[in-house]
Amino acid sequence: MGSVRIGVDTGGTFTDVVLVDEETGEIVTTKTPSTPANPADGFMAGVHKVLELHAGSDDLGGVAAIVHGTTVATNQLLEDRPDGTEHLGFVTTEGFEFILEIARQSVPDGYGNSYFWVKPPRIVPVRRVRTVGGRLDHLGREVRSFDEAGAVQAARWFAENGVTAIGVCFLHSYANPAHERRMREVIEREHPDAVVSLSSDVLREYREYERSVTTLVDAAVKPIMRRYIGNLSDRIGRPFSVMKSNGGVLSASEVVHQPITTVLSGPAAGALGAALIAGTAGHPGVITLDGGGTSTDVAVVVDGEPSLTTEGTIGRYPCKIPMIDIVTVGAGGGSIAWISPEGTLKVGPRSAGADPGPLCYGRGGTEVTVTDAHVFLGRVPPHLLGGEIPLDVSAARAGIEALAGKLGLSPERCATGILEISAFNQSNAIRQITVKRGLDVRDFPMVAFGGSGPLLACRLIDILGLRAAIVPPNPGNVSAFGLLTVDVKNDYVRTHVSRDPSRETLRAVFAELEGQAAAALDREGFTSHVYARSADLRYYGQAYEVRVPAPDGPLDDGWRAAVVDRFHEAHQRLYGYGYRDDPRHAVEWVNLRVSGIGPITRPAIARVPYQPEEPSPIATRDVFYERWGRTVIYRRADLGAGAVVTGPAVVEEYGSTLPVHPGFTATMDDYGNLVVVSDS
Amino acid sequence: MSDVDPILVEIVEGTLASVEMEVETSIARTARSPMIRDAHDFRAGIHDVRLRKLTGRSYSALVHPVVRDFPIETMRPGDVYFHNDVYLSEGGIGHLPDLCVTVPVFHEGEVVAFVQAFGHHDDIGGAVPGSMPSHARSAFEEGLMVPPIKLWDQGVPNRAALTIMTRNSRMPDSLAGDLDAECSACLMGARRLGEIFDRYGRAAVEACFDAIIAKTTETFRRELLSKIPEGVHVWEDYAEHDGVDEPRLHTQRITLTVDHSAEVPLTIDFTGTSAQAKGPINHAGDYADGVFLKKWLAPVLRNLADTPERMAELDVNEGVVPLIRMVFPEKGTLLTPIFPAPTNARTFVILRLLGVLAGVLAKATGGRMPADQETIRYTGVYGESDDGPYLMREVLGGGSGGRWYADGEDTIHVVPDSRNIPVEFAESRWPFLVERLGLAVDSGGPGQFRGGLGYDKHIRMLRDASFMSIADRSILSCWGVNGGRAGRPFLVTVNGEEMEGLVDDFPVKAGEIVRVKTTGGGGWGSPYEREAARVAADVRDGKVSVEAAKNDYGVVLHGPRDDPRIDEEATARLRAAARADAPTPRDAFFDRGPGYPRLSGGLAHADVDHL
Repeated sequence: MGSVRIGVDTGGTFTDVVLVDEETGEIVTTKTPSTPANPADGFMAGVHKVLELHAGSDDLGGVAAIVHGTTVATNQLLEDRPDGTEHLGFVTTEGFEFILEIARQSVPDGYGNSYFWVKPPRIVPVRRVRTVGGRLDHLGREVRSFDEAGAVQAARWFAENGVTAIGVCFLHSYANPAHERRMREVIEREHPDAVVSLSSDVLREYREYERSVTTLVDAAVKPIMRRYIGNLSDRIGRPFSVMKSNGGVLSASEVVHQPITTVLSGPAAGALGAALIAGTAGHPGVITLDGGGTSTDVAVVVDGEPSLTTEGTIGRYPCKIPMIDIVTVGAGGGSIAWISPEGTLKVGPRSAGADPGPLCYGRGGTEVTVTDAHVFLGRVPPHLLGGEIPLDVSAARAGIEALAGKLGLSPERCATGILEISAFNQSNAIRQITVKRGLDVRDFPMVAFGGSGPLLACRLIDILGLRAAIVPPNPGNVSAFGLLTVDVKNDYVRTHVSRDPSRETLRAVFAELEGQAAAALDREGFTSHVYARSADLRYYGQAYEVRVPAPDGPLDDGWRAAVVDRFHEAHQRLYGYGYRDDPRHAVEWVNLRVSGIGPITRPAIARVPYQPEEPSPIATRDVFYERWGRTVIYRRADLGAGAVVTGPAVVEEYGSTLPVHPGFTATMDDYGNLVVVSDS
Repeated sequence: MSDVDPILVEIVEGTLASVEMEVETSIARTARSPMIRDAHDFRAGIHDVRLRKLTGRSYSALVHPVVRDFPIETMRPGDVYFHNDVYLSEGGIGHLPDLCVTVPVFHEGEVVAFVQAFGHHDDIGGAVPGSMPSHARSAFEEGLMVPPIKLWDQGVPNRAALTIMTRNSRMPDSLAGDLDAECSACLMGARRLGEIFDRYGRAAVEACFDAIIAKTTETFRRELLSKIPEGVHVWEDYAEHDGVDEPRLHTQRITLTVDHSAEVPLTIDFTGTSAQAKGPINHAGDYADGVFLKKWLAPVLRNLADTPERMAELDVNEGVVPLIRMVFPEKGTLLTPIFPAPTNARTFVILRLLGVLAGVLAKATGGRMPADQETIRYTGVYGESDDGPYLMREVLGGGSGGRWYADGEDTIHVVPDSRNIPVEFAESRWPFLVERLGLAVDSGGPGQFRGGLGYDKHIRMLRDASFMSIADRSILSCWGVNGGRAGRPFLVTVNGEEMEGLVDDFPVKAGEIVRVKTTGGGGWGSPYEREAARVAADVRDGKVSVEAAKNDYGVVLHGPRDDPRIDEEATARLRAAARADAPTPRDAFFDRGPGYPRLSGGLAHADVDHL
């Protein structure tokens, strides 16, 4: 077995690759263009390139593990292609064929929008929904028996109508999966070519509409995911793992059975990588900010762990599987600045993307972007990727001047205004995610990474009152690095609604959940297992639960009391009130959960050498902060631990730039991170 | 606008929207009253120190009654004000279960803004569980009335007031919990809003407030009002019953006068509105110059924008107020009731007024408005379960009206983010099974653009219980416009027996089925102009029956229901004959459905229905 582990993060534009040599501690990073027509081409090119860089040979013999993060499976849903779900059908309980049309009846956004709102298309139109008789109650008891003949009819209809992926969701199947399993048997017999997802496998949690949609997302991506993973396995010729949205990984051979667990895994890897980098540098709690071309992803890390949610969405579709809680805002380098019909300046959410891209790319872009504002102000160099791609500063200037003219502002005020609005859009996302968790944003440093993440670091420190911003080395590769920091992790849930669950029930449910977790970890070859319990509780009458971690150990009265106590505390922290000492407010248990974890060895981050003398700039350039001024430019590679850069200045590296505003100081820490603080 | 920084305006506006959302999220996640928790019948609003509403996504109550009784200079940080008294709310509160919390925002020791939330709570006492007695004849039967009071004094809750309120509620724990949720959320919002004053200073932030409001005024004037021809336009619609008298037409009339050169271009005159009802469908609207109703009705104007996307972008803040003058009839009408006239079912009036304004605009613009929708009604069951007494009350939406660009949508709700109750949640809590949750076939009004469908929900009781409903549009339909036909009305049967719209307690035996069909939206344009292929698709999808395809649309189908084929020749023949017979917009521009002649003494149309 070799000592080399490789992370491959396939994005829309670039495939990022990171190699860690566990013997030497060496970390090698590189990028290759993504190949959307066949992503495996870009994947293999990246793996070979990083191996060449590391050992001068593209031989995979020394590779211990490959971990892959991909959004291939979800792109068809996110891009909203009309043909993206044409192969998909749905089976549900008799009487409920309109469940997807009705959804939760809610009209989004403003009061009165019901007059003009046009419902977007459903994930499965009603013509491809079939119903089958049979009914369970909320405890899983059979009210009416399963209608086998109806099931056969439905399966045959799908076979005759070219439906090849089928989601099954019967009422109360979270309490008893028997009817759903019989439906699967019927489909396997009558329509063996179809792939099937059962809601009781995907999400054993109540609320039928959300469970149905989650199941259908799983079924929709299954054929594509199987094809993609199969193709990749053939090319690599060895086992590999795939990143999951919950912050764990799973072997490729297992993942094809539950592909929904991989959707949105790209941003999750970034948050995990940032968490490890910050934790190593002595910051167990941080906000992570991953700035890309079209959007920015924000997450919160507490005690080294990014927080999870089960209320995520994939595009328009609610997806209630556990995933790292990430708020995405349409504010990135390519976000377009425009003037509303009311005459105010707006930034995003529309993006120029990579093609045509900002004006300064000179590829036919016609609208001013955030990147153009940075270029015009001199805050980023007039080229990308260390000089590989030159930028057209005059095109950016002309665009800014034209926009400024329409607003009656100076070009400098217009450009700084674009950046200020972009920073506020990001800061509102950061507030949202911290307020929701009952956290005070001022207690947290922020890790800023991704190509555009560090650019607004100083403004965000100021707006949010942050303690510091931490910019890791190679900010553009943090997501790929994150892939190498991840344990194997599977989640299991069971809804059991009760104000007074018996010890027997708790023992039975947890025994079953931990049994499932153990079996999966055994299949992955782990001998040491970790089981993390948690529970969702609420005050009786509430509709939303609060998840709290639950202790290990025997499931006795003391255990129950400890969980309830944690719930009171969490409710108080989240919402500003709680009823620990008020017995009138009963506590209700809703979901019991177990995560099965197979731990890996995390890569160690090496210290950088200390820098005894003052760093010397490589150049000066005219940069506008509060006014134009000749500003010193540093090359990041020239800085060592302890190096101090006092603003105004700019620190440049291969894939990213850090503008250090007047009144701010950036200091390199022992691990090569630039730690930016406000002087005031 | 010229003297304010457009960048700061964008930042302040974004922050206001973010704070409003944070307050609403916080309340929604912890609430227990189903009306707040699921139906989202609660709103947060941010108002400046001049009492002007700054945020634009929601309707909201008013701060006027609070500052009337507690002068601004007497307010202190940590104070929380409370009221629900309809007749002392300056028109901001419509019925007693809407409990309103107001928190002042401070900057350098002075009040600079207010964060307010009001929500529809389970029960505040009165004659029936849920505090909405449909046969009430006076406000004293509707629950506990609380005029503006100081609920928290500098951070200290007033225990006496809370004890009195919870003692008067059948659901004291959820009342207490939901009030805690609202107070905590508003205090959090007030802190957040204070930060923006600290950062930019009071003068700069207030200049932005002025600009945000002025922007709305200008946008509405330029982009929406300009689409309405000058002149005088009149239309009316009706509530059908008040819970006390026999069903009859309770008229709500708007005379809309449009003068683009006037400083106040729109005049909405309610003269001609019926006398106040004995039952609870009155709305106390004639206070504070109708400022609540102006903001309540103005969102309808957004339908005049060029595209649905643009309609969704337009905010309704205090900026709409200078554009509208309201004229109220003398005291003693549905909109000018005299205390203690009951008001708990005032949705019959304020929802209908949205439709009256939509109708008068349709008439003025030759049909460039959506047909009618009705989306609020309360249905429920209550009784004893293993856990003690329970009240299951749900707000089921209905179909929206056809539009000049699209069909109406199925089972939607006018209140943003209002949700139905998941079956799996309901069955784990209350003693019934939901046997069907579907769409009511043929309920959407026929039209070139069909009305959306209502619900068809079947509940089988597992124990004896009582059924309740508060619903209008059980006789009259949602109207169709411009050749479009009316949708089907609301109908509940209990074990096959038809219910009226207003029911306090009809006994349901274990094993019996309560079947609720909600309203379909009105149709837009002639159904004979609807593409035959779309009619066939509706039949395939179970939204239109084969019979209705023929009778309402003139489309003749054959073959299996899930794959129907169009008989082109028979369809052409039938449609030609039907077009020749069909009424033209000259005859009547609106179709009110078969319930109208029943209440109008046999007239097919009202006088005002003609162009």
